[in-house]
Amino acid sequence: MNQKQPLVRMENIQKRFGKVRALKGVDFEVYDQEVVGLLGDNGAGKSTLIKILSGVYQPDGGTIYFQGEKVKINSPEEARQLGIETVHQDLSLVEKMSVARNFFLGKELTKEVGFIEILDLTKMNYECMRGLKQVGVELRSPTEFVSTLSGGQRQAIAIGRAVYFRARILILDEPLRNLSIREQRTTLNHIQEARNKGSSVIFITHNVYHVCPIADRIVLLENGEKLGEVKAGELTPEEIAECIATGKMIKEERKNG
Amino acid sequence: MLIVPNQEEIAHHTDKTTPFKWSFEELRKIPEFGALVAFLALFIFFALSAPQFFSLRNITSLLTIIAELGIMTVGESFLIIGGEIDLSVSGVYAMAGFVFVTLANILTFPFGSLLAFIIALLVSLLIGFINSQVVLKGSIPSFIATLGMMMFLRGILLGITGGRSISYAGDRLVPTLLTGIMAYRFRPSHFWFIAIVIIFSFILNRTIFGNRVFATGGKKLAAYTMGVNVNRVKANCFMISSTLAGLSGTIAISRFNLANVSFGQGMELEAIAAAVIGGTLMSGGYGSIIGAALGAGIMGMVRTGLVMAGVPSYWYNAFVGIILVIAAIVNLKLRSTILGE
Repeated sequence: MNQKQPLVRMENIQKRFGKVRALKGVDFEVYDQEVVGLLGDNGAGKSTLIKILSGVYQPDGGTIYFQGEKVKINSPEEARQLGIETVHQDLSLVEKMSVARNFFLGKELTKEVGFIEILDLTKMNYECMRGLKQVGVELRSPTEFVSTLSGGQRQAIAIGRAVYFRARILILDEPLRNLSIREQRTTLNHIQEARNKGSSVIFITHNVYHVCPIADRIVLLENGEKLGEVKAGELTPEEIAECIATGKMIKEERKNG
Repeated sequence: MLIVPNQEEIAHHTDKTTPFKWSFEELRKIPEFGALVAFLALFIFFALSAPQFFSLRNITSLLTIIAELGIMTVGESFLIIGGEIDLSVSGVYAMAGFVFVTLANILTFPFGSLLAFIIALLVSLLIGFINSQVVLKGSIPSFIATLGMMMFLRGILLGITGGRSISYAGDRLVPTLLTGIMAYRFRPSHFWFIAIVIIFSFILNRTIFGNRVFATGGKKLAAYTMGVNVNRVKANCFMISSTLAGLSGTIAISRFNLANVSFGQGMELEAIAAAVIGGTLMSGGYGSIIGAALGAGIMGMVRTGLVMAGVPSYWYNAFVGIILVIAAIVNLKLRSTILGE
């Protein structure tokens, strides 16, 4: 897999907030239809790294290549135009709006009436239900307010939206946090579904047990630096947790011993 | 349980997929429901307690007051839904009035008042733009920024005029178009008000911009991460609020033929109260323009209705205060299930 050109490659990414160096030159790449776990303790720089990829932050140094081409991602709008869809922790849906209005936020469907461009609410409602059905999400009505839905349903809508817009890269920030066991399993299924439909997935978490069942590759961040990476099955979840706890990779030791 | 709506079913209900049922659960989802009930209840109450209340003459004079407050309230509601607040609207109201009168008095060529009117609206627009930039670039709450703007505008007017009123001596074109008396004492401002309510209600509910106003006011960061230029949305809302306040001011000045520094003092709080009574949540992201109009209607009715019912007009604020608080509580209760608050 590593012989192929990565879909996105982030090189030597640096970011500082005041005196804090959140990222000290991180390399990170994602290949086609791959689920990458981005793992690290709180404050390791995971969220900062993906916020740079999703256009929320601008890096202080480093380069991003998208399909081999150097790009600058100046805003979430530009990230979405590249096909980078992000499900931020608690930040992807507006609770006081309907599901359908949320679903198409930033990419609203319109029709022309005379010279005026107006929202095509009929189509938005229909397409929203159709798009959600594709990832197996069941909702009573697209006009329901998001505030009335459970955490799992909200996560499903955010993921369903990314799949609907054919995300090249789907970034999920702690997608299983605050979900029940059953909702966690459903969300993992939605992520598989997204990958099967052609998306690459970046799965950010600090819980190794969340990401192990699904990731093809796990990248470990520690203190704003890349600690190392593990392919699926190379290490047990316990061993990976040990790497994070000690800040040392144990892959080499095991190979030698 | 999955109900996939079919195309035909949707076609009959623009923003709904299930047929509308006349149940309280459905009715309370309409943002202006509470305001409509209160409006009708007060109307019936005053019509019963004061016989002349339900006369054409009173209705039209009521509409004149409601239109001027209502146009300001529509703009204020738009901005509150977008997640900000504008306390400078009454200052803009007075400033626009002064600019209009002063320029119309100077521009004596034909239709000079029209040019004066356009400049007055542009000045209002500019003040809204400055408000937005102070709030967004300065990262300070809009409450503070626009409070400062209100004091600044009033201060300028007082400084320039020394507290003296200025009479309108320009041509009659704009005053006639805005507020000239028509048949049955209707005035054009009544119709301008209705047109503005329809247009801005449409913009809020049926355009991309409106969708993004809800999103920006409801959850700014979510809107931003979904690619919405939240600063541009907010700036536009500030300009709408300010321009409508300016329009309201020019209408009122045209009616009085006089501009005075204390003109419209405290009106920003009336507009905010009317917006809240109309079902708009101060936390942003939820509200209605038609509700705003009904809120302004309630305020206007209370003002004239009390006098007609024999209550001294001094009691007006006391009544509005009670209505405001009750409306805020009722509206929140009505919203509790859909907003999860």
